[in-house]
Amino acid sequence: MALKFKGNVWVFGDNLDVDYEIVPFRKFDAGLIKLEDVGNWCMANVDPDFAKKVKKGDIMVAGTNMGCGHDHFQANLAIKQCGIACVIAESFDRNFFRNSIAVGLPIVELKGINQFAKAGDELEVDLHTGTLNNLTSGKTMKFTHYPDFLLDILEVGGMDPYADKLVAAGKIKK
Amino acid sequence: MGKTIIEKILAKAVGKSEVTPGEYVQFSASRIDHPFILTGTDMSERFGKWKSQDWTLFDPGKIIFAPEHCGSYTRVGSTTTNRENHRRNSNWLKQLGVADENILELGRIGNCHHLAVEKALALPGSVYFSAMTDGHAITVGGVGCFGSCMSASAPAFLRTGWTWFRVPESIKFNITGKLQDGVMGRDVYEYILGQIGPTGAIYQVMEFTGPVMDAMSMDGRQSMCCLAMFTGAKTGIVNPSQEILDFFKARTKVHFEPQYSDKDAKYIKTYQYDGSKIEPQVVVPPDRHLVHNIKDVEGTPVTNAFLGSCASGRDEDLRIAARILKGHKVHPKVLFNITPGSTDSMSRVDKEGVISTLLDAGCFICAPGCGMCPGFYTPLAKNEVCITSSTTNLPGRMGDESAQVYLGSAATVAASAIEGKITDPRKYL
Repeated sequence: MALKFKGNVWVFGDNLDVDYEIVPFRKFDAGLIKLEDVGNWCMANVDPDFAKKVKKGDIMVAGTNMGCGHDHFQANLAIKQCGIACVIAESFDRNFFRNSIAVGLPIVELKGINQFAKAGDELEVDLHTGTLNNLTSGKTMKFTHYPDFLLDILEVGGMDPYADKLVAAGKIKK
Repeated sequence: MGKTIIEKILAKAVGKSEVTPGEYVQFSASRIDHPFILTGTDMSERFGKWKSQDWTLFDPGKIIFAPEHCGSYTRVGSTTTNRENHRRNSNWLKQLGVADENILELGRIGNCHHLAVEKALALPGSVYFSAMTDGHAITVGGVGCFGSCMSASAPAFLRTGWTWFRVPESIKFNITGKLQDGVMGRDVYEYILGQIGPTGAIYQVMEFTGPVMDAMSMDGRQSMCCLAMFTGAKTGIVNPSQEILDFFKARTKVHFEPQYSDKDAKYIKTYQYDGSKIEPQVVVPPDRHLVHNIKDVEGTPVTNAFLGSCASGRDEDLRIAARILKGHKVHPKVLFNITPGSTDSMSRVDKEGVISTLLDAGCFICAPGCGMCPGFYTPLAKNEVCITSSTTNLPGRMGDESAQVYLGSAATVAASAIEGKITDPRKYL
């Protein structure tokens, strides 16, 4: 999978909490939401129809402190499962950032994204070169791309397939 | 150019001469030769699907299993028998090669973040991992250690011992003066939260320094660092004191090298506060960042009080509760649940008579662990109002969603339990 995506933008606000805005955690904890279909609940508390409306390959744009709160990775899985190809935000919560890499959800931290992209714009993002094109407005932004090992993790789909790769390559030393 | 304590710890952990904020670094567990990873039940509950695969651990000798979150109690909203889960998980880890003495059983456990320190897994100047979905692993910043929860990276980390970090920027909080009696580390953190807000330190390290920190016990330091996530921080950290070095020297033969920030280290911001002026702080429902001086909420009636969790329940918290409750009784309408953080801690203060003082006052004392913080043992019923020294006050966190949760220090909780309403602890000291 090349880490290059083209899709339409969905815009959300600041301080989206993993346990409230992104996935209703109480429902998850009570066994009412299964991990396999957590994508159907993505952003349900903000826009109940979001999971139905979003198209595979779309891009999510958020504000500051995206994915704040606890380190519950169900939120990252939900965004990935519902079809979002990439999340771009002004800033990310630390746990959300790590968990995104872990579940293989491409994310980009980019100051100024809220001015650069509006709902419905078509964006093209390339994680390898650190380039973001707004095909609707014709503007371009650059960002510092990840080191190769993080791009590798995202390319294979997260930390678990990456661990398979490390184990298979015999790279595990006690 | 000088370096901060966190930059020095991370550089040492990854075997580089120095690291710079913003840099991504790779970590291999082969660089550390003592157990420094603690796992809990939710690892296999939540990562159940990995359990069926053909797994091996990179090094079973580096792992301690502590079933504190779910292994030992019945929990609000729980759909499975936790004891059965615990048995299943213990057997599974045993098959993977984890030694019996590293699989902790009830009676030898406590809250995992207390255990990380009590069992000397989290050493000053080193790194420590919780292979669970529990961000409060950062509590160990209080002893000058970088703690991190592996969360969704945990299965891969346990198999390979490999993970990565982004080196964070640091913010310095210089707290001058001297705290008043009855004002605790907890109050200092909440005060800072009130000043900088919930997004005040996103992905950054909060380094607490100054005369107030120098004088603060390791217990108070851990309380502060435990809560750093509520300002968006990657962790809180404090340069270790002699008390802390002595504590670890008495507990482990493992060699450790404490790290300290250089005088010319680079911080992206510095805040300065006068600790002498900090009053007891109370966070009011329903948001984690609605911080008030206690006088704004004094007199608010409470039905429950809870002392415990990774943010509290240490020797100092239990001692100050006993000091306040000595010669008093818990208000007849209040259930005061006290859950010590660890069996070691409970045993230590018991020798000083603390536990009997608390029992004589009418407290309900539970087995060490997380306690009511995530709704164990005596979860809040409909419309109950609780004052607690635990981590957070989100609706439903400690029981029914209609219950209201106020957060304060152990001293504030104890004084409020006596009067059945939120009470300034300084009048009892």
